[in-house]
Amino acid sequence: MNNLAIEADSLTYQYGELTAVDHINFQVAEGEILGFLGPNGAGKSTTVKMLTGQLLPKTGKATLLGLDIAKKTKQVQAQIGVCFENTNLYEQMSALDNLKLFASLYGSNADAEALLTRVGLDGRGKDKVQTYSKGMKQRLMVARALINQPRILFLDEPTDGLDPVSSETIRNIIKEEQARGTTVFLTTHDMLEADKLSDRVAFINQGKIVALDTPHKLKQQYGKRAIMAEVELADGRLETREITLDEANTGTAVADLFANEKVVTLHSEEATLEDIFIQITGRSLV
Amino acid sequence: MNGRIIRALIQKDIKVFFSNQFFALITGLALVAYAGIYFAMPSTVDETIEMAIFAPALPQQFADSMGDEGVVLKNMESKAALETAVTDNEYAVGVIIPESLNQALASGEQGKIELYFSPEFPEELKEVYVIFFEEIGYNLSGQRLNIEVNEEILGVDRAGNQIPQREKMLPLFAVLILTMETLGLASLISGEIEAGTLQALLITPMRMEGLFVAKGTVGVGLAFFQAVVLMAVTGGLSQQPLLIIVALLLGSLLVTGLGFLLASVATDLMSVMSWGVPIILLLSLPAISLLLPGLTTNWVKVLPSYYLIDTVYQAVNFNLGWADAGSNLLILAAFALVFMGMGIVVLRRKFQ
Repeated sequence: MNNLAIEADSLTYQYGELTAVDHINFQVAEGEILGFLGPNGAGKSTTVKMLTGQLLPKTGKATLLGLDIAKKTKQVQAQIGVCFENTNLYEQMSALDNLKLFASLYGSNADAEALLTRVGLDGRGKDKVQTYSKGMKQRLMVARALINQPRILFLDEPTDGLDPVSSETIRNIIKEEQARGTTVFLTTHDMLEADKLSDRVAFINQGKIVALDTPHKLKQQYGKRAIMAEVELADGRLETREITLDEANTGTAVADLFANEKVVTLHSEEATLEDIFIQITGRSLV
Repeated sequence: MNGRIIRALIQKDIKVFFSNQFFALITGLALVAYAGIYFAMPSTVDETIEMAIFAPALPQQFADSMGDEGVVLKNMESKAALETAVTDNEYAVGVIIPESLNQALASGEQGKIELYFSPEFPEELKEVYVIFFEEIGYNLSGQRLNIEVNEEILGVDRAGNQIPQREKMLPLFAVLILTMETLGLASLISGEIEAGTLQALLITPMRMEGLFVAKGTVGVGLAFFQAVVLMAVTGGLSQQPLLIIVALLLGSLLVTGLGFLLASVATDLMSVMSWGVPIILLLSLPAISLLLPGLTTNWVKVLPSYYLIDTVYQAVNFNLGWADAGSNLLILAAFALVFMGMGIVVLRRKFQ
């Protein structure tokens, strides 16, 4: 693994009797996108709050960019960007004023207008945020999270409930940021988005990380390795044939299929991240 | 503490504060309204009594006697004109002195005058006027009455130099303006908590101390600026201006601390108002007791606003000096520090 951007070491948090995050351990390399997946109440937000210095861990330690977040909170916060799940902008102010305020707080000389252009809000910078649609607000939230050119970007459900154009804009920005070397911690319960964007994904359930790997490996590990063929019978009806891979007779079975049957379609049967999550935890993500 | 960050926060707070149309409006309106009420009220206390009189041959001694007693006589052309003027409330009291009075007084006979009172004239005061004219009659006829008068003056004898109501109300206006900003500040902070913008601020390099300095500056600044403008416009700074300004500054610190406390318990504008209005009323009590003496007793001194109101009142009306205001200012400063400290501690806990 490259230099570590985030390292969680036995990170734990309790709300009274309830253990929201239970001794979790993981590492994220610089420039990596980690998809952090789990259903509501699994401990995602609490983990993000500990990683961003909003909550102090009860036990364990989080190190970001080599600094203990509990001890060097402000030093770390100067180098991260956070896009919250709920819109929390100054709605009475313009988008430009919002960005300029946060640029001042970070001491950043970022070009607010250029950032607005980047998120597709050019020409609307002087409008009050309260006149924006949900998608526009969310794009502005992403722009605000980028105002200090962060080394680590925390995105909490960045595309939840957005129109396809806004979602695509945000996904493109995430990829651009990764290309720039930014580490992205992506919290979501959108499996397709996580699959598309993440280098690795972590499944969190009941405060514990139950799986952590690349989407491909998880699919290999937990998915059903098989191919599905649709064949046409003599009377014109269609039937499905399944051939399991990695068996001793797999090659023969495939050869027989093409020799003896009229194959109409053929595709591999690959598990989705959703399937894998259900397989591991016994519960769905939503 | 970073000056750039604090400046940015202050600018933001002022923008957000004035974007709340309710507080922006009442901030401006209150200042204009209080100044307007002040100037609409009489600047002097009229210690003379205007009285309509119809006296075809007014005895000179009688007119002189009336003038000595602070009665201004307005001559009417006829008895009917006098009756109309009194009935229409143009004058509260009218007196008709017949031509025969001179003769009667000269001959030592009992003279006769007629008194008229306006419809709303208080019954209990009519007797006072009757006695007043009887007294003058006795004086003019030379007969001495064996009446003993005991007069006891309570407090400062302001006879001839009474404090106009509007000067008594000035400290009330100042306190109302200051406390109104308590609501504004509390609403500003609770609005930020509710909207989650505070959460966004707190994960930047901005430190909590900077946040409190910025919020405190905005709270103190808004309250202090308005109170000083009100006092300046109404001429309240013509005596002991520095002392009054210091008192208002301490008062602004006090209400800012209260604003922090209020923000820690309130969640939205409605709850700010629900908690804030009783606080405003409580803090205004010492000022109201100046207008309605006897409303409160010494217990009012437990209210921190007493020391602000008393200082401003005494300085504006009695030219109170630093030496005499010292204890008031010290107690006010102590209250301001305690409330500011409590506000910061409680609100900080809420932020965390």
